[in-house]
Amino acid sequence: MAIIEIDSLAKSYRVYQKQEGLLASIGGLFRRSYREVVAVAGIDLRVEVGEFVAFLGPNGAGKTTTLKLLSGVINPTGGMARVMGHVPWKRENSYRRRFALVMGQKNQLWWDLPAQESFRLHQQIYGIDPDDFDRRRDELVDLLQVGTLLAQPVRELSLGERMKMELIAALLHSPEVLFLDEPTIGLDVVAQHSIQAFLRYYQQLRKVTVLLTSHYMKDVAALCKRVVIITHGRIMYDGSLSGIVDQFSGHKILSLVFPGDSAPHGLERYGEVVEEEGPKVKLRVDRGNITDALSSILAHHAVEDVTVEDPPLEDVIAEVFSQAGSGTEAEVARPHA
Amino acid sequence: MAIDPGSAAMNGSGRLAGHAAVSTLRTWWIVLRIAIEERLVYRGDFALGTLMRFLPLVTQVFFWTAIFDAVAGATGRTTVAGYTNREMIAYLLLTQVSRAFSSMPGLASGVALQIRNGEIKKYLVQPIDLIGFLLASRVAHKLVYYLVAAGPFALVFFVCRGYFNGWPEPQILVAYVLSLLMSFLLGFFLEATLGMIGFWWLEVSSLLFVYMLFNFFFSGHMFPIDMLPGVFGTVVRVIPLQYLAYFPAAVFLGKVQGAELVWGLLIQFGWVLFFVFLCRLMFHLGVKRYSGFGG
Amino acid sequence: MSGISDPTFDNTAALPVRPSYLRVFLTFARNSLVRDMTFRANFLIECITSVAWMGMNLGYYLLVFQFTPSIGEDTGWGQYQFLVFLSTTLFVNSLVQAFFMPNCEEFSELIRTGNLDFALLKPIDTQFLISLHKVNWSALANFFFGGALLAVSLTNLSYMPSPIQVVLYPVYVICGVAIFYSLMISLAATSVWLGRNQTLYEFWFYITNFSRYPMEIYRGEIGGPLRWFFTFIIPLLVVVNVPARLLAQPFDAQNWPLAGFAVLAALAALWISRMIFRKAMLGYRSASS
Repeated sequence: MAIIEIDSLAKSYRVYQKQEGLLASIGGLFRRSYREVVAVAGIDLRVEVGEFVAFLGPNGAGKTTTLKLLSGVINPTGGMARVMGHVPWKRENSYRRRFALVMGQKNQLWWDLPAQESFRLHQQIYGIDPDDFDRRRDELVDLLQVGTLLAQPVRELSLGERMKMELIAALLHSPEVLFLDEPTIGLDVVAQHSIQAFLRYYQQLRKVTVLLTSHYMKDVAALCKRVVIITHGRIMYDGSLSGIVDQFSGHKILSLVFPGDSAPHGLERYGEVVEEEGPKVKLRVDRGNITDALSSILAHHAVEDVTVEDPPLEDVIAEVFSQAGSGTEAEVARPHA
Repeated sequence: MAIDPGSAAMNGSGRLAGHAAVSTLRTWWIVLRIAIEERLVYRGDFALGTLMRFLPLVTQVFFWTAIFDAVAGATGRTTVAGYTNREMIAYLLLTQVSRAFSSMPGLASGVALQIRNGEIKKYLVQPIDLIGFLLASRVAHKLVYYLVAAGPFALVFFVCRGYFNGWPEPQILVAYVLSLLMSFLLGFFLEATLGMIGFWWLEVSSLLFVYMLFNFFFSGHMFPIDMLPGVFGTVVRVIPLQYLAYFPAAVFLGKVQGAELVWGLLIQFGWVLFFVFLCRLMFHLGVKRYSGFGG
Repeated sequence: MSGISDPTFDNTAALPVRPSYLRVFLTFARNSLVRDMTFRANFLIECITSVAWMGMNLGYYLLVFQFTPSIGEDTGWGQYQFLVFLSTTLFVNSLVQAFFMPNCEEFSELIRTGNLDFALLKPIDTQFLISLHKVNWSALANFFFGGALLAVSLTNLSYMPSPIQVVLYPVYVICGVAIFYSLMISLAATSVWLGRNQTLYEFWFYITNFSRYPMEIYRGEIGGPLRWFFTFIIPLLVVVNVPARLLAQPFDAQNWPLAGFAVLAALAALWISRMIFRKAMLGYRSASS
């Protein structure tokens, strides 16, 4: 039995469309047109206890909306979801005590107060036993190394420090399910790294089930074994990170080093030349042609070194996203009086 | 060199001035149009806001009617500070019109904020005059406001026509329109001047509050300033606030006539000039100081 | 892995204790005070300006009483009775401004920016959390101003209120606060459907304007229905009028029905505001930043 069960979950919004031009604006006083935007177009997903799953997708693909639906922040327009047996949008307090949502773009700590005051408030609101509270806070503060910052007003903290405080606030009540929406957005490499390290350690220690959305492939590569790609509100892929390349990339990268100072001419007929630097050449070759191309090259040219590699994951994913972008818009325009 | 640099510069600047005038007009028109479009998007707020503005007036009508009843019951008199019940309500209605022209919500605080967060820099590098830009967008806001508010205003005045003795004579009406237009300019330049104080003080909100407080009570918006006794009355007649609400209303009601009316309009005009000048001067000095700090 | 034996699937397993609403509120109040004290100068200015504003209002009414012996004929609202009325307005308004106004204003803002998300995650009543999470302590300056004004006015009145009037007075002030709060949170909740709601504060100011004067002034063919509407449909007129009349004027049998109604109105207003709040939460769209 899965800890998170999602069945044809869907969410669409009606948004007011601003008209261009002065006359149209005046017209807008009396008549407005709306369009239906589909954020999540029916997704099915099962997540087991202790999994660390990443949601990947271009902006507006529906990743954040899915997390918000699972947190009960918004109501779906169709479908069903259960997290630990609870229907999230019923907003039961018994469910709310068992999960946490962290959003990199929004903060919930009191801006003008030290973070520890916000932590105290969490203790009151979640009804955490004072001893448990002290123990967990100290443990988290220790892991994230923010002990000296507890008494500083949040507004004086750096973005990375603030994010660490947000994480502590979210974990004080020991949630069993954790939703992370872009937790490392806008952070420098060092802060990203320490938050990744913390999340990996904490997740393994506590066997928390985590859903993560992120723009940074490094986050995903460092943390998640399972990746779900969402575009236009639909799941396009669900599997391992390396599987993405197998499924979506029809190419391999053939790196050749020729003797002498330059590469021979006419390599274009084997594949697209991606890079050429002196005697080193990188060719992008169709997966199916790779053996033919290689044997043909070796037959016609002297070659010092050969490697065959998968294309970089980032490139494959960027390609998947951009293909999705050129697809049909899942939107229906309709005027509304 | 063969070309006389002086005459070339003269010709050049003449042509440039012509171009500049056209482009300034175009700029203003764009500013105006954007402001109008922006305001029209939020129609819900807009219609509601305009309608709401008349609610306090309803209370005031009942309040003053109760006062006049009590005064008549106790002393038999039918006037308070020289106003009959009808005149008092007509006066309060008319100050709504004055305020529609002279009130400048968010102007001074907006200027001060732009100075504080450095946004003002863009007016210093772009070929656009800040005060002119602000005036254009304020005119736009007001025009849109009148477009929507004309209906409610007409309705209210039609319903309340019994409080007026018909339309005043044409020359009074002309004077009234003049005083209204000047109240708009006075309101604009007075508030813009206050905003310029932001060049010297970072935090002007307390100052603006004091201004708002005095404006509310001593411009005649709340009650006719003839009611104020002794030294209060004298001071309030000297300071320019009365031209923002009291004066236009008093002109319409014929409380100010003949030579007094002409003088009143001249003094109002004088105050407008004074604040146009002061506003320019403070902007000039402020920018100088600002650049001195290196922005 | 077997689902049944796994503790994560057992909804009844070792739930943390229910939060104490009083202690949560005290933490809110404390945090707000700590914040206010870090901006002490600002706090002081806010106190002074709000008292100054009411001082000017007081001056205006004193000016009006230079011309008239009372507000309305035979209404019993002479100068000092009316000053009792004014202090009651101050009590109700300062309490609303201290505990609810900043929260309701922020509520619209939370809806607009999508930051309401966090409130919806907490295992505590959302309306409670939203309505009380900040306290604007400086607004209580007017509460003390009202207290001083009440003391002066009462000593200048020729009659003394009975103990029961004194006991009932704070009860009705609280009823008034409840009615104002209900209206305010309902208005703020409409931001869910109306989008930007900048005029909320203005609207609030305009509509509560009706409550600032004795209800006796609303007479005649327009005033009568208006009085009825703002008593029984949107009970703004009972907010200040009932407690003020209770204290400032002799309390006789004909006042009891209205006094009873005021309690009912307060309870009904709270209940309706809760319905509207719930409906609004269902329609919340959580704007993305």
